[in-house]
Amino acid sequence: MTSAVLPNSVLANENAFASRRRNQLIIAGLIFAAVAALPRFVTDVYMQNVLILTLMFAALSQSWNILGGYCGQISLGHALYFGVGAYATTVLFVKYGVSPWFGMLAGGAMSAVLALALGWPCFRLKGHYFSIATIVIAEIGLLLVHNWDYLGGALGIQWPFGPDNWATLQFARDKIPYFYFALGLFIVTWLVTYFIEESRWGYWWRAVKDNPEAAASLGVTVFESKMAAAAISAFFTAIGGAFYAAFVAYIDPESVMAFRFSLLMALPAVLGGIGTLWGPAVGAAILIPITEITRSYAGGGGSGLDLIIYGTLIMVVALAKPEGILSIFRRSAKSENAS
Amino acid sequence: MKMNRRQLLMSGVAAAALAPMGRMAFAQAATEVVIGVVYPMSGSNAQIGVDAKHALETAADIINADYDLELQGAKGAGIAGLGGAKIRLVFADHQADPQKGRAEAERLITQDKVCAIIGAFHSSVSATVSATTERYGIPYIAADSSSPSLHRRNLKFFFRAAAHDEMFSKAMFDFMDAQKKKGKKIDSVALFHEDTIFGTDSSTVQQKLAAERGYKIAADIKYRANSPSLTAEVQQLKSGDADVLLPSSYTTDAILLVKTMAELGYKPKNIIAQAAGFSEKTVFDTVGDQLVGLISRGSFSLDLAAKRPFITKVNELFKARAGRDLNDNTSRQFTALLILADAIDRAKSVDGEQIRAALAAADIPGEKTIMPWKRVKFGPDGQNEDADPVLLQYVGENKFTTIYPEIAAVADAKWPMNA
Amino acid sequence: MSTEALIQVIASGLLMGLIYALIAVGLSLIFGLMDVVNFAHGEFLMVAMYATFGLWLVSGIDPVLLAPAVTALLFVMGALVYLGIVRYAMRAKANIGMVQIFATFGLAILIQGLSQYFFTPDYRSISNTWLGGHTLNVFGVYLPWPQIYGGVISVLVFGGLYLLMSRTDFGRALEATREDQGAVALVGIDRNRVFALGWGLGAALVGIAGAVLAIFYYIHPQVGATFALIAYVTVALGGFGSVFGALVAGVIVGLVEALTAVILPSSLKAVGVYALYLGVVFVRPSGLFGRL
Repeated sequence: MTSAVLPNSVLANENAFASRRRNQLIIAGLIFAAVAALPRFVTDVYMQNVLILTLMFAALSQSWNILGGYCGQISLGHALYFGVGAYATTVLFVKYGVSPWFGMLAGGAMSAVLALALGWPCFRLKGHYFSIATIVIAEIGLLLVHNWDYLGGALGIQWPFGPDNWATLQFARDKIPYFYFALGLFIVTWLVTYFIEESRWGYWWRAVKDNPEAAASLGVTVFESKMAAAAISAFFTAIGGAFYAAFVAYIDPESVMAFRFSLLMALPAVLGGIGTLWGPAVGAAILIPITEITRSYAGGGGSGLDLIIYGTLIMVVALAKPEGILSIFRRSAKSENAS
Repeated sequence: MKMNRRQLLMSGVAAAALAPMGRMAFAQAATEVVIGVVYPMSGSNAQIGVDAKHALETAADIINADYDLELQGAKGAGIAGLGGAKIRLVFADHQADPQKGRAEAERLITQDKVCAIIGAFHSSVSATVSATTERYGIPYIAADSSSPSLHRRNLKFFFRAAAHDEMFSKAMFDFMDAQKKKGKKIDSVALFHEDTIFGTDSSTVQQKLAAERGYKIAADIKYRANSPSLTAEVQQLKSGDADVLLPSSYTTDAILLVKTMAELGYKPKNIIAQAAGFSEKTVFDTVGDQLVGLISRGSFSLDLAAKRPFITKVNELFKARAGRDLNDNTSRQFTALLILADAIDRAKSVDGEQIRAALAAADIPGEKTIMPWKRVKFGPDGQNEDADPVLLQYVGENKFTTIYPEIAAVADAKWPMNA
Repeated sequence: MSTEALIQVIASGLLMGLIYALIAVGLSLIFGLMDVVNFAHGEFLMVAMYATFGLWLVSGIDPVLLAPAVTALLFVMGALVYLGIVRYAMRAKANIGMVQIFATFGLAILIQGLSQYFFTPDYRSISNTWLGGHTLNVFGVYLPWPQIYGGVISVLVFGGLYLLMSRTDFGRALEATREDQGAVALVGIDRNRVFALGWGLGAALVGIAGAVLAIFYYIHPQVGATFALIAYVTVALGGFGSVFGALVAGVIVGLVEALTAVILPSSLKAVGVYALYLGVVFVRPSGLFGRL
C-alpha cells in the first residue's frame, strides 16, 4: 500500500516525492488533453453518450472515493446526494427559472450540509453498520421524494424544451457540450483529490482509515476529518446529480435516487483501485462501456443474456484483480519507493 | 492463466465495440423500412417486453407477408407505397430507466437509422424517448404508455392511438353510473394504487371523478410497488368494505393482493381494475379462481372476433409465437405498428416529417383494426380521442366477456361479482 | 381501526416477521463466521423458490415435502459458491470487504440473468398445494396456513441452530473459527472446509425460507431484491453474526412494518423499519445483540 506512506518518510524523500507529484500532474494534463480530443474521433452519438456516462461516473466515483476510499467510510447511500443535486437544480430551474448553474451550487451546498447533519450521528457507527445506515437513509430519502407532491412525486419533473444554450445547459441533439461539462467535472474532482491527497486532511483521512484509535491518540481529530470528507464528497456528488438532470432533462425518484446508483458510484473506485487517484477513472472506463454495450447489443432479446455477460465480467474482474486494476502498476511503484 | 483471462476480456470488449458497425452497414439496404422498438427486456417487467416483441413481430409478419385480412395496413406483401418494402424491427432494452431509454432511442435513430420508434410501456421512459424523437424529427408512437401528461407537452411527433388513463377511469365511472341507474347500490369506492406514475395518474383521476359524481371514498391506499407483504393494506380495505374496489396494480402486486385478500377472508363486493396486472394471463393462471366476476377496463376484447373474424386469425398468429392470447397491452402494441405501416404506405417515404404528416392525416375506421375503437384519428396533440375503452368481466378459465359500453357488450354484467 | 383489525395486523406482522428472520439468519451466520456480506443473498432465495417450483412442476409432490430437497440443493450451491468464488475474493490484501461485495454483486446479476434465461421473465406461482389458500380463522382473526407453517418452521430452525451451535463438533468448529481464524489452523481445523460448510449452511437456511415462501408468493427473477434489503436491515438490527439477534430483529421488523402501514400512508411503511434501525444503532452501535 503506497498510499499509506507515513509523514516522516515523506519528509525524508521530499525532493523525490515532489518531482513525482509534478510528473503526475503533467501526465494527468496529457491524459485530460487526449480525452478532450476524443470527440474529434468519436462522432457516433451513441458512443458519445457512453463517453459522457463514463466521465460522469468517473467524477461521481472520484467524489465517492474521497469518503469511501481515502477516509475508509464505505457509504452505499450516495444516491441521496445525487438526488438532492438533481432535484434542487431541477426544481429551481423549472419552477422558479433559476439558472441551473446556480441551482447546481445550491444543490451541492444543500448536500454538503445534509452530509454534515447525517454524519454527526452516523460516524459513530463502524463497518457494515455504517454502510447499512447509509443505505437506509438514502432509501428513506427515496420514499419521501416518492410521496412528495411538490417535487412531482412519482411523476417526476421534466425540463422544458428550450433552444441550445450554455446558460440553461440545454442542447437538443448536440452531445459535445455535455461531454466537456462531464470532463470538466471529472478534472475538478481529480484535482481536488490530488491536492487533498497530500494536504493535512489527506494524512488525517488515511490515518483514520488505517487505525482510528491510533489516529485519535496522535491528535488527529477523527470526527472532524470524517465530517470534512463527507461534506466534500457530497458536494461533488450533488453536482454530478445536477449534471445528470440537465443531461437527461427528466428526473423521477427511481431514476436518480435508487439504490443501484449508490452501488454504481462505488463500483468504479473498487474496480479500479479504492483510495487511489486514478482508480475511479480506470474503473469507470471499464465498467460503464461494458454496462452500456452489453445492454444495447445483447439486451434486446429479453433472454437475460446481457445480465449474464455483465455479471460474469464483474465477478471475473473482482476475482482476477482483487486490489483493483491499478494494482497491476503497483509493483513498479513499490520498487521505485524501495530504491 | 491470468494472461488468458485478460485476453478473453479484451477480445470480448473489442467484439462488442465492433458490433455497431456491422449493424450500420446492414441498415443501408433500400428495400426495408427500419422501425425501432424500446421496451423493458430485463428487470421486473421483462415479460411485458418479451410479449411486446411477439406482438410486434406478429404485426411485422402480417405486413410483410401476404395475408388476406381486412386490416388497414395488412394488404399485400410489404408496404405497397414503397414498392413492397419490408418492415424490419430493431429491439432495444430500456430497463425501466428514462436515461437508458433515451440513449437507446438515440442509438436506434443514429446507428440503425430507424424512421419511427414504438414504445415503451413505462410512461417515464416514454417521456424521454418522445423528447428525443421530437428533437430528431421522427414519429414516436406510445403504444401502451397511458399517462395523460404525455400528450400535453405540445410535441409534434408524439402519437398515441390508445386511450390514456383519464379516458379509462371515465369509462369505469360511466359504467358505475349506468349500474346505479339500473337500481344497483353503489355508494362507496376504495382506491388501491401503487406509488408509481401509473398508480398516481390513475388514482388522481379516480379521486376527482368520485368527488364529482358523488361516490364516497371508503379507503384510499397508496402502496409501495413490489412490496413483500400487503397484509396491513388489505386489512384497511377490509375495514373500509367499499361497494367497489378500484385497484391499479401491476402483475406482482396484483397476485399478492388477491392472495392476501383470500388469506384474510376478504371478498370485495365488486372489483373494477385499471387493467395492468389484471389483464395479464399470469395473474389469472395463478389466482383466477378468486377473480371470477372481476371487471377490468381494457383496450381489447376477443369477443369482437364474432363481428370481425380476422381477429381470430391475428390472435392465432400471435398465440403461435407467444403462447397466450392477445391482451390489453399486446393488442395495443400490435395495432401501433399497423397504424405506422399504414402511414408509411401513404407517405410513400421513410422521411420522419412525411410519416408524421401521414400519421396526422390518418383516419382509420375501427372496423379495420382489431380494436373496439370508433376510429383512429389523431388530434393536434397526437392523442386519438376515439379510442373507446371497453370493460371486460372475467368469467373463469382465462376467458373474458365484454360488458360495456353497450355497443360492444355481448353480455350483461354480473353485479355484484360474488352474488 | 377496530381492535380486531389491530390484532389481525399484529398477528400477520408477527408471522411475516418470523419468515423475515428465517430469510435473514443465513446471511447473519455467514457474516458471523467470516465477516462477509453476501450481496447475492436475495438471489439465493430466488433460486430456492425456483427450485421448489421446478421440482413441484416435474414431480407434482407438495412443496412441504420438497423442502428438504431444496435445502440440500442450496447447501451444495452455497458450498460451491464459497469454493468457486468467495475463496478467491478473500485473497485480496486490501479492502477485502469491498471486493467480496463486488464479487457477490456480480454473482447476483449473473444469477438473475441465468434465471431469466432458463425460466423466462414470466411470473410463476405454485397452485393447489396442501396449504396454499387455506386460512385458520381464530375469532375473526385470519391466520393463513402457509404463514403459520413458515412461522413454525422458523421457530424450529432457530431451535435446531441453537442445538447445532452448542452441541455438535461442527458447531464448535464454526464457533472457534469465528473467534480466531488464525488459531484454528493450529488445532487442526481446516479453515476452508469450515467456511465451505458455513456457506453451505447459510445457503441451506435461505433455502428453507425459499421453500416456504414459494407456497404463497410469486416467483420471478427479481423476487430476491424484494426481500434482500429487509434481510440486510434485519441482520444489522439484530447485530451482525448474532443468530438469536436475527430472530428477534426479524419479528420486530415484521411488526413495525405492519404497524407503520396503519399509521403512515402504506407506501411509506418501510420508513418505520428504517427509522427503527437508525434509532437502535445510534444508541447501540452494534445492533441489539451484536458483539463489537
